[in-house]
This record gives sequence, structure tokens and C-alpha cells, in this order.
Amino acid sequence: MYSSAHPREYPACSGCSLCRLVCPMWRARRDPRYSPEGIAKARQNGAEAAELAEVLDACTLCGACDPVCPEDIALTDMIVDLRRELELPPDLAVLQVGYQQAAADASAAPAGALLLPGAALHADAGLLARVEALLGLRAAQDDGADLAVALEIGGDIDPVRKRRFLAGLEGRSLVVGDGLLLRWLRRELPGARLQGLGQVLGNLPAIRRRIASADFYVIEARAYHADQPRLVAHYDALRKETGCAINLDLQRIAVPPRASGYPGLRMGPSAEDLAQAGWMLHGRQPARVLVENPAERDLLRRVAGVPVLHLAELADA
Amino acid sequence: MDIPLVEPGTVGPCPVAPDALQGIVRQQTNPARWNGEGWPGFVAELRTAGVDVAESASARGIFATDAGGTAYGMPHGVVVARSAAQVAVLLRAAQAHRVPVTARGGGLTTEGESVAYGGVLLDMTGMSRVLTIDRAAMTVRTEAGIYWHGLAEELRREGLDYLSAPLNMTSSVGGTLGVGGIDVNSARLGCSADQAIALQVVTPTGEIVECSDSENAELFQRVILGYGQFGVITEATLKIRPYTPLSMHYYYYSTLREAIDDLQLLDRNDASDYSGILTIMDCAVNLLVAFDSAEREAAFKANWEKQLRGHGEFGFALCMVGHYARRPWRLGEALYLLKRKQAVFPEFRRPEFHRDGRMDDRTVVFSRAVWKHWGSRNMVIPDLATTADKFVEAVERGNAVCRKYFRHYTLYCVGIKLRADHAAHYEMSCIPPGAEGWAYGCEFEPMIEGEVYSRDHFQSFKNAIYDIGVDMGASYYRFGGMMKGYIRRVFGDALVDRHLAMKRKADPAMILNRDVIF
Ligand code: SF4
Ligand code: SF4
Repeated sequence: MYSSAHPREYPACSGCSLCRLVCPMWRARRDPRYSPEGIAKARQNGAEAAELAEVLDACTLCGACDPVCPEDIALTDMIVDLRRELELPPDLAVLQVGYQQAAADASAAPAGALLLPGAALHADAGLLARVEALLGLRAAQDDGADLAVALEIGGDIDPVRKRRFLAGLEGRSLVVGDGLLLRWLRRELPGARLQGLGQVLGNLPAIRRRIASADFYVIEARAYHADQPRLVAHYDALRKETGCAINLDLQRIAVPPRASGYPGLRMGPSAEDLAQAGWMLHGRQPARVLVENPAERDLLRRVAGVPVLHLAELADA
Repeated sequence: MDIPLVEPGTVGPCPVAPDALQGIVRQQTNPARWNGEGWPGFVAELRTAGVDVAESASARGIFATDAGGTAYGMPHGVVVARSAAQVAVLLRAAQAHRVPVTARGGGLTTEGESVAYGGVLLDMTGMSRVLTIDRAAMTVRTEAGIYWHGLAEELRREGLDYLSAPLNMTSSVGGTLGVGGIDVNSARLGCSADQAIALQVVTPTGEIVECSDSENAELFQRVILGYGQFGVITEATLKIRPYTPLSMHYYYYSTLREAIDDLQLLDRNDASDYSGILTIMDCAVNLLVAFDSAEREAAFKANWEKQLRGHGEFGFALCMVGHYARRPWRLGEALYLLKRKQAVFPEFRRPEFHRDGRMDDRTVVFSRAVWKHWGSRNMVIPDLATTADKFVEAVERGNAVCRKYFRHYTLYCVGIKLRADHAAHYEMSCIPPGAEGWAYGCEFEPMIEGEVYSRDHFQSFKNAIYDIGVDMGASYYRFGGMMKGYIRRVFGDALVDRHLAMKRKADPAMILNRDVIF
């Protein structure tokens, strides 16, 4: 390890390049500037956020780089902090305002355990109803979608809004669909019982017994990497029990199917996304592709050539 | 030798003379920067040809140092390699404008060999795609900037594996073929460079040439283990094999000599698929032995295991307790060993990298551990490569040097099976002259652990290790870059002059990787 200083920030980057091995942004471009190492080294050489704008925009925030960095640098935090210094992408700022309005209009969440589905699942009413039925949980109308956008674009979070949102969640058991929001909630609500939607659905017997050895299972990268040391055992057990192949690489890092920034917010895959999704499936011949994240279904349908199902669709498949 | 004085930053009459690193006085470890003459014309020519040259400080700064972290230099610009044709354009322009070119793969050098002291840095990782996998011939054709780990990812999806590669995920194929590449199966399969069947090389004057033992053999011989002097490797055809997880055994010794004797016993008798020694100083000496198949493992257990003098973990712990109980004044050392063991051992046994008791991927396991527990801001890893019979002495003498210079250190020893038909490849390389059957290598790696050492201290340490090599007629893995003052001393004038003449012919402006060897 380069130094024992805390917090672990870009000055600690030793240039080992381990983060490049897992970074979809680098894989799609093979240009060292487009990697966490490139950003950290640029910062060490005095680069400001504006100079790095294109690279910062290209990051998917998949979080794959965080667990592999031997220097324990909080790389995704570094990237979001830099995005904060850039002008908000206008299309995403508009999106955020829309979500803020929806949150303001939302009715209070029902009591007890709660589902925070995230924008992608919210946008698919049929799938959301199916998930609610499977989990026996109601979805919160205010699921923090505006906060998730802020976390993604590095936007400021209004302290009043934050207090109001967290107050409604304190002490509950939560199933969270958005990987970035889940990561943030872990920090903000250390005492809460928080689980990612993919993990919870994968544990349901009605779903698990339908996962077949010919399936290719796509873990939602953000939720996984935010809790990788623990979840690696969960997915290893899933693999052993079902025999399915999983989008884990040799380092047990989830290969994300996207390689360009703001996945799920900007619809329509880029050429880099298609190449990355193709790489994820390269050398595999699954009968079906199963996704935890509904936002990845359409992209994978374009490259897989086999049925692509969300886990919740498996229950009655 | 009568070597005339030359201006700093220019290439003197003998680039490997003892004073060949024309650096800043006192800071002998950094060559002076190339003066930039010809750069604007070079860049203009490249841009006209559609080659992107990045000149921002942030793009150049990525390459300011190498894994060693003791050599620093800034290129004038960076080009990310995209194709052999583009590399050829770059090299032709570099010859015309006399611009130094530093080719870099994973940047895992420690003596500044992949650091550009001005000129253009050619980042080969831009060429990192697997091109074809031929199952029938059991070969893979790949772009040479690929990391071995990237190659493993792709081969593994087909149930295949490479033969041997450095235990570091970010070593590149091209960089490794240029220097050797040692794995824990090298005692059986040879160095990584020996698995190359054919290469596409861009020569220093910009020709794109396919070469192998049967086609342009002379170029092949010079490029393999050639430290980047005779061309840029852009593609490689490598042997591959079916993938197997491996079962790993560890034996613990309290003396280096016994462990080395046992390592060589196993190698001589082809008793294991993998073997190597990893130590914590000279107190906890770990012989690792591993197998690809249950049959080989059973044969080892039946025939060889009982001949090993190493202990299991528990037996070794008892020995250590006895040893330090009789030497209470060395309690600090005992505590360090214990602390180190507690930190490092779990890394080698992480359940996610093992299935049914077998290790899935040795490179992932070892590389993670190396970066986490050995990596530091500065890394110096001088080494000695000797014939089998001289190895114990070399390691013991090197170990004494380590003890003198650093509180804590690690030794890593492996055998390298030599191919008689590759003798020409081994000329002026890490393979020591006169080695037959096997060569043995030992890396001496101080543990820096947050302490601060001057570069002079590091340099003295390296010199002390390398002086042993000169004295014993050994060779080194890392004899380029900051250590190139040893080249004539260890290889002799006749051989060096012959290679220098070949280099001058192949690279008239002496632009390619000029701070590595010539
Ligand atoms: S979060 Fe993902 S895309 Fe962004 S730098 Fe890290 S690995 Fe690359
Ligand atoms: S893994 Fe961490 S230390 Fe290594 S290059 Fe990437 S950011 Fe730097």
C-alpha cells in the first residue's frame, strides 16, 4: 500500500492500473484517460474538473473500481465530487426537477417494510406490481428518485428534502432498487435493514428454483460493488445451487453491460454500451439472460439473441 | 575504456558505458530529459497522418513513473497505440525527427524502463484485443498490449488458459515477451517468452514484420527477451492449454538452504506442476507446490512429499515458538512475522477464489496480495538469476545484503526451464550464461511499510545485490534502465558490442526505448 493516510483520495493512487481491468469506460475506449487511474493521475498533475469533463461524463458509476483498488481510494466518490464541479447536464437537471415534483406530490409511505423501486422499475407499472406481489411489499411513491439523480450527477441535495426523506425511512426494513441510492442509504442509515432488490428477489424460492444452469444471470453492478465483500458469497451460493453463469469476472467483479455515462437516465444505448454488452456475453451461449435491473433489459435484448427476463418475470415464466 | 564526454541528453558513443546514464549530478538514477528538438515537426507529421498525440499534462502525467516509483520523467506527448500501421507511421516519423519513443505496456518496470524522459510515450494498452483463438492448434493470436489478465478473462470463457505469465494482473503480453516473464510454473513450462510462437513486430524504422523461429528468425530472436530494443511487438501468437484450477500446498522452512534444495529436487524430478519460494525475510520460508491434476498430486504425495523437509503450518508454528523462546531478544521479529502472517495468509485463502478446495486463478490471488501487501510508493526489486548450482549461494549472499539494508523484506525464488532450441533468444537476457536445463531467479524485495528511504539508499542496495551477480557470473532480470551500468560488467564487452552494432543498424537514430539498454 502506498500510504496509510486517510481519507483515501487521489493522491494515494500508485498507478497500479488494477482499476483499468474492470472499468467498462476504459474497456470500450482503451484510452488510459478514460479510467479511474487516468482521473486520479490527472488530478495528481493538477487537472481540474472542467478539463476532465468528457471522462467524467463517460463514467457509468458502476462502482467496479472501488473494491479492486489496493489503495482503498473511494474512486466513485472522487468522480461524483468532480461531477459536482461541472455544470449539470441540462437534460438530467430537467429530469431531476420532474422527480422532485413527483416526490413533493407523493403520499406518505405505508407503514412497515418498504420497497423503494427506483425510477426504472417505477416506469414499468406491470413489472412493479409483480415485484410488489412477490415481495408482499408496497412500493413507496416517494422512492428518492430525485436523490438518485443528484447522486449520479453530483447535484446538491437539499438538506430539508434529505431530512424529510430519511425521516420516513428510519428504523424500517427497506428493499432498494436503485444501486446508487442503496449505497447512499447505507451511509445515511447505518442502523436500517437494507437490501438490494436483486438480492431479495434472487432469494425467493419461487424465483430461485426457476433459475436454470443454462441461464446467464446479470447482477446489477452498483448495488453489488457497494457491498461486494459480502455479496460475493451470496452469488457464489446462487451459482452453486442453480449452476447458472453469472456476469462475474475472474476477480469476482460484476461486468456491467453499459460503458457510457448516466445509464438508465439517458435512454438509448450508445455504441460503447452495445460493445460492452456484447463483451459481457462474448463466449457464452445462454438459453436466457436474467437481469436484476429492469433498465438493462432493452439493451441486452439488442445483443443477446435469446430471451431477456427480469427476475420478477421468472416467477411465472 | 576511453569514453569521451558528451553533452547531457545526447546519445554518446557507448550508451552502455558505466556512466551511460547521463543524468543530473548526484541524482544518478534519473536520466536527463531529451531536449525536445524536432518535437513540433514530429507532432505535425503525426497529426497529418491522423495520429492523435495527447500533450496535456494530465495525459502525460499518467506515465510519470513506473511501478518502481523511483524514476520520474515526463514525455512530451502520448500516443495510444491503435494498430501496427499507426505504430509504423510513428516510428518512421520518430526516425526522421530523431524523437525518442518509449513503448509501455503495463508499466510494471522498476528501473524506469517504461518511463519516458521526454519524447513520445507509446501506450500499447490501446492494442489489447484478442484476435483469434485456435482450439485445434491450441494457440491464441492477440494484440500485444493486452494485459495477461485480460487474456485470461477471454480464454477462460472458452475453458482455456495461457501457459505461464507473471503473477501480476497488469503485466502486458508484449512487455513480458520482451523481458521473459516468470510464473510459478516456469520450472516446468519455461518463461512466458518461450510460449510465443510468432510475433508481429514493427521495427524501429517502421516496417511491419511477422517473425517466428522459422520466419525472420533473427528478428524473432532479438525481439524475444530483447528489452524493446529491436522493435515494438504489436501482435503475438501464443500457446494455450485447457484451463484447470490448481490445488496448492504450502511447506514451511526456517532456512533458505533447505527450501531451495527441496525446490530444486522437485524441479529436477518434475514432481510438481508449480513450485516457488516466498519468504518473510529468511525466517519464514514458504515453499509452495501446486498441481493441475489429481493424478499429479497423488504421484507427488506418494513419491516426493515425504522427502521434503518443510513443515505444515502447525508444525512450523511450533518450531517458531521454540526458536524465538530461545532468542527472546528477537521478539520484535517474531511479532512482525505473526502480524504479517495474519494479514497476508487470508489473502491466499479467500473463499471466493477457491472452489472445492482448488484455487481458481493463481494470478488473481497472488496479484491482489502483492499489490495490497507488498505494493508501496517505492519498490525496488533487484534480482539475481543464476545456474542451478550457484543459486543457494546467490540467495544467501543477497539475503545478507537485504538484512543489512532493510528491517523487513521478502524473497521470491523460482526455477525457469530452459529450451535448448531457444539459446539464441536467451543471449544477453536474464538467462545466465552457461545455464543448462534450468536457471533460477531470486527477487529481493524490501518491505517499505510507510518508511522513507532515499533513492541513494535504494541505489546502494541494488548495487550491493548486483555486485554479487558480477562476482558470481550471474545475470539479472532488471538490468535495464537505472541498472544499465551493469550491462558491460555482467555480459562482457564482446557480447554487448555485438548487440550494440545490431541495434545501431536496426535503429539508426537510436530512438526506440533508448533509456532501457542502448
Ligand atoms: S465507476 Fe465504473 S465506469 Fe466509472 S471509473 Fe469506476 S469502473 Fe470505470
Ligand atoms: S486501482 Fe487505485 S491505486 Fe491502482 S491505479 Fe487505480 S486508482 Fe490508482
